[in-house]
Amino acid sequence: MFLKFNRLWKETPLKSSYDAVIIGGGLHGLATAYFLASRHGITDVAVIEKKFIGCGAAGRNTAIVRANQRTQENVPLYKEALDLWPVLTQELDFNLMFYNCGNLNLAHSDAALKAFRMHVATAQFHGVDSQLVDAKQCKELVPALDISDRPRYPIFGGMFHPPGGIVRHDAVVWGLAKGGAKLGVRLHQGTEATGIGVKNGKVAWVDTDKGRIQTTKVLNAAGAYSAGIAFNCLGQRLPISVLTIQAMVTQPLKPLLHHVVSSGAYHAYANQTLKGEIATGAHMDPWPNYTNQSTAHYIKHQAEAIGEMLPCLRGVKFMRIWGGLADMTPDMAPIMDGNVPVEGYYLDCGWGYFGFKSATVTGKYMAQYMATGECPEILKPFRLKRFEEHRLMGETAALVDYTANN
Amino acid sequence: MAFLIACPLCGPRDAYEFRFGGEDKGPRPATENLTPEAWCDYVHMADSRFGVQKEWWYHRRGCGTWFTIYRDTVKNIEVSVKDLEAGK
Repeated sequence: MFLKFNRLWKETPLKSSYDAVIIGGGLHGLATAYFLASRHGITDVAVIEKKFIGCGAAGRNTAIVRANQRTQENVPLYKEALDLWPVLTQELDFNLMFYNCGNLNLAHSDAALKAFRMHVATAQFHGVDSQLVDAKQCKELVPALDISDRPRYPIFGGMFHPPGGIVRHDAVVWGLAKGGAKLGVRLHQGTEATGIGVKNGKVAWVDTDKGRIQTTKVLNAAGAYSAGIAFNCLGQRLPISVLTIQAMVTQPLKPLLHHVVSSGAYHAYANQTLKGEIATGAHMDPWPNYTNQSTAHYIKHQAEAIGEMLPCLRGVKFMRIWGGLADMTPDMAPIMDGNVPVEGYYLDCGWGYFGFKSATVTGKYMAQYMATGECPEILKPFRLKRFEEHRLMGETAALVDYTANN
Repeated sequence: MAFLIACPLCGPRDAYEFRFGGEDKGPRPATENLTPEAWCDYVHMADSRFGVQKEWWYHRRGCGTWFTIYRDTVKNIEVSVKDLEAGK
């Protein structure tokens, strides 16, 4: 029981050259590194991270995973991501604590139910389990809901997506870091990317505060910071607004929520963690910034929303609140591209608040892209050029009030 | 998170009274000879700077004025033009 524990990965000094450099030690960066090493034999990979791995969105998200998105380009990607959790748990030999408790989205109007009908049709077309449920079924799934006409937004029905759920986000960070390091990936924490060198239109090196790294391939997977890094290092402008999103947990309670519950009208989602805390969030501060500050403004909002949605939680205390950053694109879909504006430069950003649920599958395909130089079919719709071609994805039906873009 | 923004008419107010109106991208490009690239750049693209940027705000829950300010995106505070000229 008291065996000596070894570190999950070894710290090594920064070399002057790597086959590939990944900027950002978050889930997308670590997953790409892991898949480069495990699937493509590219093991001479450096992951450089300004702070520490999992310090950004990887450790700040609310851990919800699902595959009931709106558009046909997105759904297959998220479906594969869901299918990957058990596979990776085995492969990494690390308990990712995938708890597929299902997600229930509440509809508070006929219009919302009609929108769900389309979501469900899209999901079913792609082989994802998702169903429309009526108010009574909502109550059966989550007895704590009030389905009378008393609440501010009465419940008309919902969309239930059984395969979704929660994954322990820190475990994914550690599992991927350990798995990658075992295969030769080098993690360099406390190392900031300060520039990308270009020679004859190709990536030649990456400058860091610890020295220059010669490389021909670099992935910008710095999450919310990727837009600023792209601008600083290459002058590349991206259609991204970086907004703070806040989340909080209540004091631990006996088990009462057996599914993730969310509501667009209240603008809140909630799930009960294995510790018993109700984790809830949703709101974004509506101006771009690079801070992780939280506000009393949203604690108040969240208390009101959760108190209406789940009346039994009134009077329960919030224990912690934190903020993280989400890089929002105008169409709420990510940007994954390669060799723009220079050869050897790859981009994986603009995930908004979908970065956690997509990290592993994105790593898989970005690794394929970087290893072969050929864009995998599944990533093609997410190219940066779509904004210029007016082929924005309909992941959001209408731009909502809190985006900076409308 | 919350900070004060100086509205030119109403003076310093809570940031939640305002709506962010985007980075200041200069005047709208002329329609003649406009390329899709230049239009996309104007409509969608942003610098997303770490540091001070010039940006538009709208006093939504106030007097309705549109105006520009300088703000430090890393510290999330308004920076006065005087401080900027004096080198902060």
